[in-house]
Amino acid sequence: MGDKADVWQGTLALMVLKTLETMGPLHGYGIARRIEQTSRDLLAVNYGTLYPALLKLEQEGYITSEWGQSDNNRRAKYYKLTRAGRRQLAREAREWEQTTAILARFLSPGEESS
Amino acid sequence: MRNLRAWFLRLFGVFSKESRNRELAAELEGHLQMHIDDNVRAGMTREEARRQALIKLGGVEQTMENYRDRLGVPALESLLQDLRYALRMLRKNPAFTAAAMLTLALGIGANAAIFTLTYAVILKSLPVPHPGQLVRYTFRQGAMDIGLSGPAYEALRRHETVNTDLLAWSDAEFALQENGAVTRVSGAMITGSGFRVLELRPYLGRVFGDQDDVTSGGPSGYQALLGYDYWKQHFQGSQAVLGQALTVNGRVGTVIGVLPPGFDGLIAGMRADLVLPLAFEEVLHAPQPMRRHDGSFWLTVMGRLKPGESVQTAQANLRATEATVREEADPSHHFLSGFFAPFHFGVESGRTGRSLMKVVYQEPLVVLEVLVGLLLLLCCANTALLVLARVSSRTREFALRSALGAPRARLFRQVLLEVGLLAAGGLGGGICLGWVGAQKLVAMLASIGEPPPLDVTPRAAIIAFTASISLLSALVAGLWPALRAVRVAPGPSLKQGGPVSSSKGLGRWMVPAQVAVSVTLLFAASLLGRSFLKLLLENSGFRADGLMLANVDLRANKPTNVVATQSAQRMVEALESTPGVEAATVLSYPPISDSWSASHYYSVGEHGAVHSDMQTWPEPVSPGYFAAMGTRIVEGRGFTRSDANSDPVCVPSASAAAYYFPREDALGKFIYSGGEDPSLDGKTKPDPKNTCRVIGVAEDARYHSLREAPPRILYRPIVRDDLGAEFCLAVRSGNADIAAAAIRAALRRVTPTAVLPAILSFRDLVNHQLRRERVLVALSACFAAIALLLTALGLYALLARDVLLRTREMGVRLALGAQPGEALRMVIWQGLRLVLVGIVIGLVAALAMARLLGGLLFGIRPTDPFTLAAVAGVLLSVALAASVIPGRRATKVDPMVALRYE
Repeated sequence: MGDKADVWQGTLALMVLKTLETMGPLHGYGIARRIEQTSRDLLAVNYGTLYPALLKLEQEGYITSEWGQSDNNRRAKYYKLTRAGRRQLAREAREWEQTTAILARFLSPGEESS
Repeated sequence: MRNLRAWFLRLFGVFSKESRNRELAAELEGHLQMHIDDNVRAGMTREEARRQALIKLGGVEQTMENYRDRLGVPALESLLQDLRYALRMLRKNPAFTAAAMLTLALGIGANAAIFTLTYAVILKSLPVPHPGQLVRYTFRQGAMDIGLSGPAYEALRRHETVNTDLLAWSDAEFALQENGAVTRVSGAMITGSGFRVLELRPYLGRVFGDQDDVTSGGPSGYQALLGYDYWKQHFQGSQAVLGQALTVNGRVGTVIGVLPPGFDGLIAGMRADLVLPLAFEEVLHAPQPMRRHDGSFWLTVMGRLKPGESVQTAQANLRATEATVREEADPSHHFLSGFFAPFHFGVESGRTGRSLMKVVYQEPLVVLEVLVGLLLLLCCANTALLVLARVSSRTREFALRSALGAPRARLFRQVLLEVGLLAAGGLGGGICLGWVGAQKLVAMLASIGEPPPLDVTPRAAIIAFTASISLLSALVAGLWPALRAVRVAPGPSLKQGGPVSSSKGLGRWMVPAQVAVSVTLLFAASLLGRSFLKLLLENSGFRADGLMLANVDLRANKPTNVVATQSAQRMVEALESTPGVEAATVLSYPPISDSWSASHYYSVGEHGAVHSDMQTWPEPVSPGYFAAMGTRIVEGRGFTRSDANSDPVCVPSASAAAYYFPREDALGKFIYSGGEDPSLDGKTKPDPKNTCRVIGVAEDARYHSLREAPPRILYRPIVRDDLGAEFCLAVRSGNADIAAAAIRAALRRVTPTAVLPAILSFRDLVNHQLRRERVLVALSACFAAIALLLTALGLYALLARDVLLRTREMGVRLALGAQPGEALRMVIWQGLRLVLVGIVIGLVAALAMARLLGGLLFGIRPTDPFTLAAVAGVLLSVALAASVIPGRRATKVDPMVALRYE
């Protein structure tokens, strides 16, 4: 696990929101797998940390949940993006892009002179 | 916004945890199953698949723990947990809990009750907009606050410049004719400017203006306003009341509006159910209206300050204009500089309106507030001692918790929570006790007949006050024990077996403090009690035994003064002829009823020296007066029936005789009345028509009030028009029932239509006049008794504990040959030392208290050394009694048992 980056709180929420936007309603296990796949297994999501994050998003009203049936007939709780969640996702994604753009400019060598 | 929503849900989550936990468990179960399925599909064995899934999840328990923290508010939950624990601890020790709660409830309840009264009498603002802008003009001598005359009000209104306008108000009793019956309605009259100054809007209809405050009330008769409660009760809150005609004192008026709810008038304790323009006074006071009379002082005068003005500028303005006002209000100089010379104009804040009760009760209430404050302090100290004892016996528990990693703040909070719960119990008890207590007090203060309509229902202000003192007491009582609990060192406390640490450090402070408070309370109670006894026992100039009185009211018959006087005299004759009646008389005012009367008399001495007095009390009496009232004649003789027809005679009281005839024998000399005061020009001859010859001298009588020095009284036989429609009959008889029956019979015989009056004994009057003192004595004695009890309990608990802790030491001492008496002496001396320190501090505090009491005492100095010594003695004996029991226990220690104990 040493070379895999841990997922920290703030970005986990953003990833969850993005995942739900792309995939539609999904259960916790599905979200975790999806995040791992999308990061091409570079990120190790400790699945356990996902649930408090989901609860927080739900308390803030960005997602809602509902019990349903999984593909292989397991009972699972499905999470769904709300309208507020969509807005929040757009806002956070924009902020994140700005931050990374600034940092990228800082860190790439030789850029200072240009 | 999002955060708020999340917090709200989390707070809610605290209480719905169970179901959410089950849901999460189900969700995680589903999660694991899906993961295992995937892993099996990827080729793992079932065992391995499960193991990998669990590793990836990071532990079910840990996940649930994190989830739970997010679900609720951990800080709140630990608080709830502590609270539940505290409740369990209190339930486990019902005796301790009951004792502590009761102590706090007593202290809090006493404070709530006194504060309720203080609020109703002193603090409550008038329910009008910006009451802080109101000022009230006064005309008073000491506590006697009599109001302004009509001309003084007008003159003041013309000359003062700090108010937008002034108003004059007078309470009144109206006779309202309804369906043929006459009912008495308590009401008031107000000038046309009144509602403008008060800025009071009616609940219904309109209020008066200047056009309504004129003779006959204007073209459509007098306009009337109804009080809200009265309207609700008597007119069922009907809108149709507007325009309805009322017959008041035989005149027709029209209802034009209803006053807003909560407005009871400007005078606390007097309800204004019916309000008429001040002009109605000409009907009420007919045939002698008072509004233009220079010598009738009866109006409550208030004003509303202009922006930027204050009570101070109003006072300055009053001083600047007072000379002009006095001149215009009394051109004859007869009243303001004559009879009313001891009275002064003043202006003060009018925020609370005028309160007749405030004048009488402000000082006692301040004293009572101090007393109950001290009592609460004592209750807190006792609770602190109790809690401390509990904390010390739980030393092991605190040590264990601390060793297991409980932060100090948590232990601190635990103790404070427990005390807080006790205080909450105390608050509940205190509010009930306070409410009941306030009602009892109001009943005790009731005048003969009905209680004063003081509003003592618990209001927001009172509950807030009570809650805050409870919180404060919890802090005061809990802080010390909580600090001690935190200081417990885990190591040594866990090693030792039983409860450790003595309460020495705290006891050294608590016991003297309790004793000091008790000394102060006891001292106040004894001073008030002795003063009360003095008032009761000191010769009043009347003999109370067998003296019965009745206030006769013939106003319904509208008699002239001549007719009223004749009726009164015939009643006295009827009474005198009744078997069993020793003597009877008529009086113009009932004695010791705070009524006040003064007239101008003078005498001319042997060498032409004139002694003139405007403060002599004229008292027209029947021949039987001295025998009936029990006032002794000290020189000469009293009146006989023939005196009424001979040349005028009179009997001055001893102080009057000494005033008019200093160093001379008064008998046979003359006292003059009326006409020009010869002291003004020295030449005017006394008018022989207004002359009376002194035939005797009577002992002084405290006619006006038991609390005040006897007035100079001049008794003379009744002449034909001396009495008005209201007078008082006094009968002396060995049997109260005979006297009462005689009075009723006499009244029925002379004026069959008159209402039968209430018949009171002289003792009733005394009790009524001294009700303020009685309440003060009862309350302060009650507080002092509680204080003594609490102090004794506190001391006992402290010493008993000490003896218990030192059992081993005692055992060693006894084994080494100490006498049991020594152990007893040691314990007693240990308590006594603390008590002595407390007494010394208490005596100093008591002397400070005495200054506060000064104005309420009668015939006793506030620093009375005898009382001080007695109080110290009582405290010492109580302390001795409290230390004897633990002391004796110390002597009974068996050395063998004590030494084997470890």
